[in-house]
Amino acid sequence: MIEMEHVRKVYDGHTALDDLTLSVPEGRIFGLLGPNGAGKTTLLRLIMGVLRPDAGTITLFGEYAPGVPAATRQIGYMPQQLALYEGLSVRENVLFFGRMYGLGGAVLQARADEVLERVELRERQSSLAGTLSGGMMRRAMLASALVHGPRLLILDEPTAGVDPLLRLRFWEWFRQLAAEGITVLVTTHHISEAGQGSEVLFLREGRILERGRPEELIARYGVADLEAAFVQATRQAVPGNDAARTANGETRA
Amino acid sequence: MSTMGWIALRVILEIVRDRRTLAFFFLVPVVVMSLVYLALFQDETARIAVVARGAARLFVYDLERALEQEQDVVVVPLEIPDEERDPQRLEADIQAALRTGQADGVLFFEESLLAERFEGKRGTLHLYLEGSRPTLTGLVASAVGNASDDLAASLPVVIDADCSAKCANSVNVKPLEIDKHYLYGSEDYRLIDFFLPVLLPFFVFFLTFILSNITFQRERVRGTLERLLIAPVTLTQVVLGYMGGFLLFSIPQAGIVLVYLLALIGFPVTVLQVLDLCAITMLMLLISLLMGLLVSFAARNEFQAVQFIPLVILPQVFFSDMIWSIERFPAVFRWFAMLLPLTHANIATRNVMLKQQPLWQSWPHLLAMAAMFLAALALLSLVGRRRTGMLG
Repeated sequence: MIEMEHVRKVYDGHTALDDLTLSVPEGRIFGLLGPNGAGKTTLLRLIMGVLRPDAGTITLFGEYAPGVPAATRQIGYMPQQLALYEGLSVRENVLFFGRMYGLGGAVLQARADEVLERVELRERQSSLAGTLSGGMMRRAMLASALVHGPRLLILDEPTAGVDPLLRLRFWEWFRQLAAEGITVLVTTHHISEAGQGSEVLFLREGRILERGRPEELIARYGVADLEAAFVQATRQAVPGNDAARTANGETRA
Repeated sequence: MSTMGWIALRVILEIVRDRRTLAFFFLVPVVVMSLVYLALFQDETARIAVVARGAARLFVYDLERALEQEQDVVVVPLEIPDEERDPQRLEADIQAALRTGQADGVLFFEESLLAERFEGKRGTLHLYLEGSRPTLTGLVASAVGNASDDLAASLPVVIDADCSAKCANSVNVKPLEIDKHYLYGSEDYRLIDFFLPVLLPFFVFFLTFILSNITFQRERVRGTLERLLIAPVTLTQVVLGYMGGFLLFSIPQAGIVLVYLLALIGFPVTVLQVLDLCAITMLMLLISLLMGLLVSFAARNEFQAVQFIPLVILPQVFFSDMIWSIERFPAVFRWFAMLLPLTHANIATRNVMLKQQPLWQSWPHLLAMAAMFLAALALLSLVGRRRTGMLG
């Protein structure tokens, strides 16, 4: 699904990603974890073709370079910002993004019904996006990222500012999507929730610290949960670094 | 520190740390005022030429000296051959000189002037006026009026019998008749008629520029632009889509301004003139949209986008031939004015409305506007791709 080989990206002399080699198979939920500035968003933008690598190659769906229309048509993207048109209704937003991917007519209407049903927004589909709560806006964004039936779903902090119950619901949807064969690439600050994914990748300063199934990583570091595994991996990468753990024991990623 | 003090400190810190905002805050008024001063430190001056035939040429020198005594008037030579005596061709030459901008007014003495005075007639001076700029027309007419009184005194004296009875202490010399011929317009042109037509391109530019600037800025800031560009959509498609959407509102808006202007304008306007004006306005509208989008890319946030508004709009008000004639500006400012789309829109509008020229005669200005539209589209594509990270 995603093949990256020796990818390097430098911004103004700062190396955002360094010699990154990664393979993401189809139908998985792939969690990208790392502190701010680790290179998560850069990685996503390279895959979407918004940025070009300074070195290395990226191949999507076995044949396409990022950014080519044949590849972008198969990608759904949900950014961290609440990127909806506030003056349009929920359904109009979904239909608009569907049209941007070339859908139309009855097919689009049916797809809109389907994705709005999936995110449980059918009853609020006529509400203006600007009148929705943060959680509802995130659901509407997920619907508009799914409307064109992507094979790869890229989610940048999809549960930021979302209450715990809805976060669980979001992850249920991700698992359903993965079961349908969609690859879900998700960045999150909530490390514990990334444990619900098929595989996680720890990133730090543009390099891969660890990669594996959540239970494998927990076992590898002999800790209780994924958060602790992340902290251990970070400490081992930078000896003597306790900064990742705050005074009240929470982990900052 | 009080709550208000902390709020003030927060505002100060944010502005100080935003260098572009800081620069706008202090530099915009200084830059714009300097430009205006440098461009306008010379008063508007009207150019008058004197043409005479036969014995009337004897008085040209005195008349030119008298005209030079008048404020804001300069006497300029005209390249009309002395041997040209055919009245129709002579008039055509004078009109050509006015049309090409060699002079704002031409005072013509016929050979018969001296004979008329000897015969006891008042004698007639012919004043040819360009007529499209009321301020210059006024300056020329006033200067010629004063100078002709001096001339009348030096010509064979014709006693004004009516006046000598009533005004014993005045110089009882019959004044010369001044017959005014207007190349454009008529004596009825009001100052407001000169400004009204160009308000249309200005309003279209002003309102469309602000609307597109702010709306596109919002699209960028809230992340929907990035979502669009990640979809199989090009920036050019986004821009053209924006233009399509805005036109639905901008066209009726321009229509309302146009209808209102036509109601206020004090001279008759033909359907063809209105159609020509619509064409100019449409071009201006498209350019304004692109300029708004370009500026929204140059600004990092909505605050900066708002501050770009005076920087873009004020020079166009001062340097676009809207209020002051750019012909009188120093060369560097004339070139600067030619880089502003509103200058071309204003000149073309006045050509159509005040000079009653067919639109095609303003082709250099229409071509310049079309070139600016294409250049803005190309620049937008380039800047937009960079700003949205398309080139990484």
